[in-house]
Amino acid sequence: MIVVTRSGVSDAEIDRIRERIEQLGLRTHISRGEHRTIIGCIGDEALLAEASLLTLPGVESVTPVMKPYKLAAREFVAEPSLVRVGAHGGAVVGGNRLSVIAGPCSVEGREMLRETAVSVKASGAGMLRGGAYKPRSSPYAFQGLGVAALEMLAAVRAETGLPIVTEVMDTRQVEEISGYADMLQIGARNMQNFSLLSEVGSVQRPVLLKRGLSGTIKELLMAAEYIMARGNRDVILCERGIRTYETMTRNTLDIAAIPVLKRETHLPVIVDPSHAGGRADLVAPLSFAAIAAGADGLIVEVHPCPSDALSDGDQSLTLTAFEALMRDLQPFAKAVGRELSGPAPSGIAAA
Amino acid sequence: MTGDKQWPDALAELARIRDEIEGIDRALIELVAKRVELARQVGAVKRTAGLPVLDPPREAAVVRRAGALAREAGIDDDEVRYLFWHLIGLSRRAQLQERDARG
Repeated sequence: MIVVTRSGVSDAEIDRIRERIEQLGLRTHISRGEHRTIIGCIGDEALLAEASLLTLPGVESVTPVMKPYKLAAREFVAEPSLVRVGAHGGAVVGGNRLSVIAGPCSVEGREMLRETAVSVKASGAGMLRGGAYKPRSSPYAFQGLGVAALEMLAAVRAETGLPIVTEVMDTRQVEEISGYADMLQIGARNMQNFSLLSEVGSVQRPVLLKRGLSGTIKELLMAAEYIMARGNRDVILCERGIRTYETMTRNTLDIAAIPVLKRETHLPVIVDPSHAGGRADLVAPLSFAAIAAGADGLIVEVHPCPSDALSDGDQSLTLTAFEALMRDLQPFAKAVGRELSGPAPSGIAAA
Repeated sequence: MTGDKQWPDALAELARIRDEIEGIDRALIELVAKRVELARQVGAVKRTAGLPVLDPPREAAVVRRAGALAREAGIDDDEVRYLFWHLIGLSRRAQLQERDARG
């Protein structure tokens, strides 16, 4: 149930409305927009039948939310959410400016990470990704450098100022990784790991939640709801391709999920074209499509030498390919009325 | 350079402020412990009087009052409301544990 207040409602009136709802054992969530304030009710809505909220001063309308997700629902807030990542302003995801997160699949060493970070930053990326703990399909594949990788990410952040994003796979890692990362990533394989979702819901770090390989849009939104219900409202959703019968691509990028999510939720939506296609040559066209469809940003795998990468080399862009991508994306961003940082025009960068 | 002199001054100031914050944290913990203890007593009185332990209207009023006070103090009322729901949860659990302990 959402309660929309009249314009010019006083704080005391809002307090009274919230108290009336909370008396019945429900919780309230407030969202103040430019023109209206929305009070969302969380709990057993049947109890509200007796509350006669419409008679309270300041109430304009009362509408049921017929969806299983509440905190994530678009109706629940006045304006689409912005998620701030990192200290000192860091990066903002969800606004008019598109956000691009770039970096290697796994952190393989300090120098490769530094080289990648400096280069992707110059190309216009606003955040650095890098895996410290890797969920690999095979137990014999490279599993990540762990704490050593976290230390390297923090050192490169200090040098470049790029906020860092890294995956957390286990509830036992959440506290340790939160000590380093600016944003915690929940991988596709953990989208419905509810104990992990609860754990990242209790820390003060934004969460990048990837859609599961066989996760429906509704299940993705319910996973976000899990995190938000624990108190962490800073969730970014990521479409990364779903499993279909197609074998020419690693996954099938669900482009329609972008406008559907933008309609259903106020949370920012970004796209991972690297995992979706599984091939470097597909990254650019999938990125163009994602931005054209209304995505708020991209997360792209970039490696200084993809053929030497310890994981996912086939889908990683080289540093120069990433620079070209950021340049080629500009007209697509412009076409949808969004801004995108890009590489400096050649010639000026060298001056 | 003036920076050489300002640097240790700033560090001393930082240490002083952190000391003060630590003092406030200690006082907060003592107050929370006191609040939980009082809630236990309320629980005992309620039981004697045959009243239910859970009292959502009362909890809602406590949170509403905290939000209003927060605004008067010039701090974010929504964050304070959140804090108070946790505080109430702590007290409520203490009351319920007391009941369970007595069987």
